[in-house]
Amino acid sequence: MRARTSTWVLRVLVALSPLAALLCTAGAGEGAPGWLVVLVLVLGLGWAAFPESVAGAAVIVAVIVWWGVGLREGLDVWALPAAAALLAAHVAAVLLSYGPPQLQLDGPTFWLWVRRGASVYLAAPLVFGLAVWVRDQPAPDGMWAVGLAAALAAMLAASVMLARRDGVGVER
Amino acid sequence: MTSWQATPALGRAVIVAAAALALAVVFGDPVLVVLGAPFAISAAIGLCLLPRTEPSVSVQLDHRTLHEGQGTVSRLRVRDGAGVEHVARVSGQAPYVALHPAGGVVGRLLRDPSQSLDLELSPRRWGPRRPAIELVALTSRWAGWRWGPVDLVGSLVQTLPGRAPFDSRAEMPQPQGLVGAHRSRRVGSGSEFSGIRPFAVGDRLRRINWRVSLRTGDLHVVSTRAEEDSAVLVLLDALGDYGSSGGVDGDPSSLDLGVRAAAGLAEHFSRTGDRVGLRVVGPSGQFVGYGAGARHHRVLLGTLAEVRPGIPPDLAADRIKLRAAPGTVVVVLTPLLDEAMLLVIATLVRRGLPIMVVDTLPPDVRPAERPGVAKDVADLAWRMRRMERDDLLDSLAATGCPVVVWRGPGTVDEVLRRLARRAQLPQVGAR
Repeated sequence: MRARTSTWVLRVLVALSPLAALLCTAGAGEGAPGWLVVLVLVLGLGWAAFPESVAGAAVIVAVIVWWGVGLREGLDVWALPAAAALLAAHVAAVLLSYGPPQLQLDGPTFWLWVRRGASVYLAAPLVFGLAVWVRDQPAPDGMWAVGLAAALAAMLAASVMLARRDGVGVER
Repeated sequence: MTSWQATPALGRAVIVAAAALALAVVFGDPVLVVLGAPFAISAAIGLCLLPRTEPSVSVQLDHRTLHEGQGTVSRLRVRDGAGVEHVARVSGQAPYVALHPAGGVVGRLLRDPSQSLDLELSPRRWGPRRPAIELVALTSRWAGWRWGPVDLVGSLVQTLPGRAPFDSRAEMPQPQGLVGAHRSRRVGSGSEFSGIRPFAVGDRLRRINWRVSLRTGDLHVVSTRAEEDSAVLVLLDALGDYGSSGGVDGDPSSLDLGVRAAAGLAEHFSRTGDRVGLRVVGPSGQFVGYGAGARHHRVLLGTLAEVRPGIPPDLAADRIKLRAAPGTVVVVLTPLLDEAMLLVIATLVRRGLPIMVVDTLPPDVRPAERPGVAKDVADLAWRMRRMERDDLLDSLAATGCPVVVWRGPGTVDEVLRRLARRAQLPQVGAR
């Protein structure tokens, strides 16, 4: 059956938003190389075709890696639209993953995720402002080591949570 | 058994957040934290909202018995659905079951666990119809966890045949019942004028014809013909189903025509007070005794809904018990492609029963394409079959059995009138 218009709009958003986030580095003064643009576009198209595939994580990580590699000391305001683009792609993929392409996206679900995306996005400007505020401050000893430990602990906790399985019954 | 599983969206958020934080530490670049912070929060919320309940889902139909073309609602209910935010159901396509939405895919937020997720369905052909297997998936808040998809099998919908448009104003040829609407040959207390005869003991005074009595000098009374009901046997040929059925809105197959015509005949004659019986010549060989009224009509429709085409292994035309008493009007619905039915019809004709044959073979029926059979060979075989059928029709005409093509209202009127006229003549019956 033919996919609905809303589905196509979401797929376009999934496919092009990572590319937009990548191109934001040009605004920050460091354009992405052509091969990376092509790679992100291909991964984005694959993600749009299969919203639950690992292509989604791969393309977002690729964009983040370029922001880290291409822009050293790149605390630039262009990071905010880039974060918005990446989050929009993620939310669009979530909406697409609720069912097969024939599933019509209803208004309540759409607006629920718009609100959630907007509220989650607030973390980006907050972190950005915090980073700008502490940029000129001397870094405390072991700050990055503590950060690394915190990241590892968070990953460990996430792994434990993801490994949980609760068996429940289904009534036929 | 199924369980809550982490969604790919949650896994993506966790991976992106972890990668962003790790790269930020490695590169010492806070901008990566800016990019990863929304994902970290999303992942954390999703992880924390793992539902603790053990949900179960079930499907219920609003109606279990429908006429073809009617619709009902299939309601999906979730029990113990605390923590469930979104429910989606995907139904396959079952033959002759229409869905709305047409793709059979519905999904929405589950604000209230007592709410149901509805899917409208409509059986498009008579017979037992089972909706296709469905897949149901539940998603937790923030799309972190998913339960299912699990298979669900819907309940059977008993689909009664739609009534083919039918009406008749012809009187029955040999009404031999008790009380009905047809003029019989017997004199009795009806309303149809029969004659004027001398008064006899027991005659009602209001029957006296004073004009004749004064002229003749003796009392005379008006005699009337009794009004009686008639027995009607609908004989349905289910030895085969020719043509492809397009459902209630499409082209009918031969059995579609037969079943719907039988339903129309049964309803009409039941409504006019006649006793209607049904005999199906087919694998199951159903028989419904003579009766009238709404309840009997429902029994007839239920029996018609269970008709299946096929040839019984022990089919012998002379062993088919028709249970047709003298005077029973027999309406045979057949595509006339089986000699066994010809023998049955010939037997009925020899018994002197008023019988008519309704041809239910669709005019544009074509042989079905089968693998390994060339189309021209199949066409040739079908032409030969049609020629044999023409011979059968000629044989029937030779026995004096009328054959009509089903065309709805008035199909059997002319035949019934001719049979009624024939019934007035002396005849010899054979047993």
